[in-house]
Amino acid sequence: MVAPLYTTASGLLFHAGKILVITVGLPARGKTHISRALERYLRWMGVKTQVVSLGDYRRKILGATQKVPPDYFTLGTTQSPETQQLRKKVSAGCEKLIWEFFEGGGQVVIYDANNGTKAARQTLAEKFDKAGIHVVMLETICDDKEIIENNIRSVKISSPDYRGWDPDKAVKDYYTRIRDHEKYYETVDERTWPYIRIINVGEKIMVNNIQGYLQSRIVFFLMNIHNRFRTIYFARSGQSLIEHSYKADSDLSPAGWEYAERLKEFVLERRAKTLKERGLNPQERKLVIWTSTHRRAHHTAWPFLATAQASNVVEGLPARSSPEPSSVGYTQAVTKISSPALNVKVVEKPQMLEINPGIWDGLSPEQAKKYYPEDWERFLKDPYSFRAPRAESYHDLSVRLEPILIELEKEQEDLLIIGHASVIRCMLAYLIGLPASEIPAIEIARGDLLEVVPASYGVHSQAFHFWDGPGRRGTADDDVPGKDAINFYENYAEDTKGKRKLDLEDGSTPEPMTLPGTNR
Amino acid sequence: MADPQIFQPIPKLRISDDLTRAAGVLQDMQSHGELGDFPNSPPALFGAGGPMLKRFDESAMTSRIGSQAATPPLSVKGIGNKVAKPDYSESKIVLAMVGLPARGKSYLSNKLMIYLKWLEYDVKVFNVGQLRRTRARQKAKQSGIKEDHTAQWFSHDNLSATESREKLAQDSLEMLIHWLKQGGNVGIHDATNSTRSRRASIEARVAKEKGFLLIFLESICDDPAIIAANVALKIRSGDPDYKDMSPEVAKRDFLRRITEYEKVYETITEPHLSYLRIVNVGSEVTMSRINGYLSSRIAFYLMNLHLKPRSIYLSRHGESQFNVEGKIGGDSLLSPRGLQYSEALPALVTDNIGNAPLTVWTSTLRRTIQTAESLPYPKLTWKSLDELDAGVCDGMTYEEIEQAYPEDFANRDDDKFNYRYRGGESYRDVVVRLEPVIMELERQENILIIGHQAILRCLYAYFHNFPQVDLPYIKIPLHTLIKLTPRAYGCDEERYALPIQAVDTHRPKPKAHQPTVQPSHARQYFTDVAEPIPIPKQTS
Repeated sequence: MVAPLYTTASGLLFHAGKILVITVGLPARGKTHISRALERYLRWMGVKTQVVSLGDYRRKILGATQKVPPDYFTLGTTQSPETQQLRKKVSAGCEKLIWEFFEGGGQVVIYDANNGTKAARQTLAEKFDKAGIHVVMLETICDDKEIIENNIRSVKISSPDYRGWDPDKAVKDYYTRIRDHEKYYETVDERTWPYIRIINVGEKIMVNNIQGYLQSRIVFFLMNIHNRFRTIYFARSGQSLIEHSYKADSDLSPAGWEYAERLKEFVLERRAKTLKERGLNPQERKLVIWTSTHRRAHHTAWPFLATAQASNVVEGLPARSSPEPSSVGYTQAVTKISSPALNVKVVEKPQMLEINPGIWDGLSPEQAKKYYPEDWERFLKDPYSFRAPRAESYHDLSVRLEPILIELEKEQEDLLIIGHASVIRCMLAYLIGLPASEIPAIEIARGDLLEVVPASYGVHSQAFHFWDGPGRRGTADDDVPGKDAINFYENYAEDTKGKRKLDLEDGSTPEPMTLPGTNR
Repeated sequence: MADPQIFQPIPKLRISDDLTRAAGVLQDMQSHGELGDFPNSPPALFGAGGPMLKRFDESAMTSRIGSQAATPPLSVKGIGNKVAKPDYSESKIVLAMVGLPARGKSYLSNKLMIYLKWLEYDVKVFNVGQLRRTRARQKAKQSGIKEDHTAQWFSHDNLSATESREKLAQDSLEMLIHWLKQGGNVGIHDATNSTRSRRASIEARVAKEKGFLLIFLESICDDPAIIAANVALKIRSGDPDYKDMSPEVAKRDFLRRITEYEKVYETITEPHLSYLRIVNVGSEVTMSRINGYLSSRIAFYLMNLHLKPRSIYLSRHGESQFNVEGKIGGDSLLSPRGLQYSEALPALVTDNIGNAPLTVWTSTLRRTIQTAESLPYPKLTWKSLDELDAGVCDGMTYEEIEQAYPEDFANRDDDKFNYRYRGGESYRDVVVRLEPVIMELERQENILIIGHQAILRCLYAYFHNFPQVDLPYIKIPLHTLIKLTPRAYGCDEERYALPIQAVDTHRPKPKAHQPTVQPSHARQYFTDVAEPIPIPKQTS
């Protein structure tokens, strides 16, 4: 459970009741991709959500394709009675799983199957509708051959159904399977049920009679996802003069400025490498940097702007004039400098401020414990949802970040997020799909660059260590190398000492691996 | 990469000594116990009240990074600063409406304009009907000829009138494009644009402008009740086209006008266009080729609108102990008079709303929860409704702030919307944080918000379309219930002040006018007369 705006007595969120999303579409139309992305988003919002995948269930009970009768994927009357029986058994098993999840307190089930005929959909929908469950059809249509071919090559033939097959033969077989489904496929034109139809991965979206908060959230989310290749980087802001105060909003410390410079070098180097590997032209790609409105964060982005400006000068373009800052009015919310060498845009977002420590601002964990012993106990018991007086809980922070996550899905360019530990924790939890209870404990060390690449069924993520210096991991522990004698501690929620290190792959190993649980 | 000869990577030595010194001061204060190590009360650290903040700032004031490239921003100082508006200059959208008359096109245009303006986008509606009436009026004034604008004029068989209408739509589009080039973000072309050929000509014209995005917004309505209501509104609300007609004749004529349009109307099926189609406001939405951040926000906003009658009630919490002491921020409880208000509020609300369902929203601060306590309705708490965070000034009185930081204080008065308290928020930050609340408000029916002064100012500004510069000075007195009822072109407002005394927390802008509330529910039938209508260049 992560970020419900509010909860109801029934334990269901958003007064939305229970929802069954029935996916409709031919094979290789991205149903699974969309189902999984939606599941991740809804779970992050705190909605108990489950994808029930017919394909997975069939493989589980029947084994891979080799053990399935040869006419299993040829629909219609040519099937032998035994095969029809088998198909029925599989779909009945899936239905049972759906009922079980709802009965166990689940709120949303996404039934990931072809559901290609009107009659089958109608029967299924009526059954659940009678039980008071809202049914929504989610149809994915794709007439762009390239998208389908890509989908088959990148996802389908690596499925267990084709283990050990020759790739080209597997592709051919898969097309046969699609053609058999095409014969019987009926698009959703019935108006009986609310539906969402997505054409060519978001090129066009049709929405019929979608009502309710959660349903409209689902549509908004689906409107924003895309499948363009891009990389999302996360790094912490540099160390500031007064690490432990939210209110002081202090500037970077000497070590912080040094860190900022090193971060810039490392990100540019790493990004150049990634773009090259992918055969992408760096000239055509922009690097978008999001920071919070705290000085320590947007000043950490400063060297990027300086470099972009410098490359402008080198290219013989007029340098952007830097007005002499006066005592007020110097903060630029957005600064953009384009140049052939480095195209950067820095955006400051107030929603990305670190967790607000409320009246605990400036206190070390020891002090907070000393002056607010009862509150501290409650904080330790439930660090995710506990809200110190006038402070934000991690839950509050997640709610505040929700619009940012939608923007993150929408963004097509490479993105560097220079953030605070608490903010990075929440955003990573969303991308990787971690449960809320683990969020406060994720270690985000200063000097690590986290690289996240959205892929078909989740994300690939890697961590790169690029900097050691004062303020790397919090400073209260004398044994930590790089302990900073000057800065005392970070605020209680930002503190990274003794936290669980996220099981990210270390970028220094040559073969990229994927995170457990995020990829199939 | 930069030429290393010119642009040195920043060497450690060049990092300002000032920063190191500032750090030293901190360490010094720490070791002398000046950061506060009181036995029973927690150390109050970086408030603007004590000497601590100033001492720290002085030590770090001139710190810069020693780079020759871009000048890094100054180090922190004082209690806050003005923040520039985000750069929206890349957003250039032509939003062309499509739909028969009386299908709520102007309603949607207006609603969308208010929402986007509230988010500080520069938006303007270019209504072809307004332009037509304004020009006809000018012509009548100058030459005495009164053009006939009855249904006959809207018939496609009337060739000269068709040509005139064509010309009006073109001129209006030219004005829109001209305005976008001058720095606007979203120009809404409010016309019927009901044929493929008209849309194709708009497309061709906009394609000539670099970086302009064209989106069509089609409003379809087949609910006879809604159409009838729209027609009635049109007749009733003093449309100059029907000035000298009896309502029956006017209605007949208007229905005939609709019929004339229906004859040639073609719904959007052009597959290459970006469009949004809204059926019966919210019941069905189609989105095609909607890309880009702003476009998808527009789409989401329109999806959440509904036309059900309802009211939004706003009230501040009862007078708090901090109000009495003149302090800002904090999380104090209600004063005795504030408690009286919380006890009197239920009767006032229930009398007003009767048996209709109502949900109460409060912030997470104690004074709003306490005020809502005896209201017999379901209640929800929103963190996003918490009062503007005054950062280092939290808990101080305005006098104390003025005394400690006279210059900064004057700065805030100079540009209150853009002023961000150090470690706290500006009004803009609050608007950003309230955006999801507005979205949810649009979806809901009757809602009572027990909120805070700055929060209610922002919400109120949305419903009444107040400019940002006036927003921080809107009067939201204590112990007063404000009822807003959305109408077709704005909101009706009623205020119920309870006779329970309270301090006045309103600080007027020094030497400035007070914004006066003008409930803006009347439709505008003419373009601003003050603004001369430019004669658009012929494009060929």
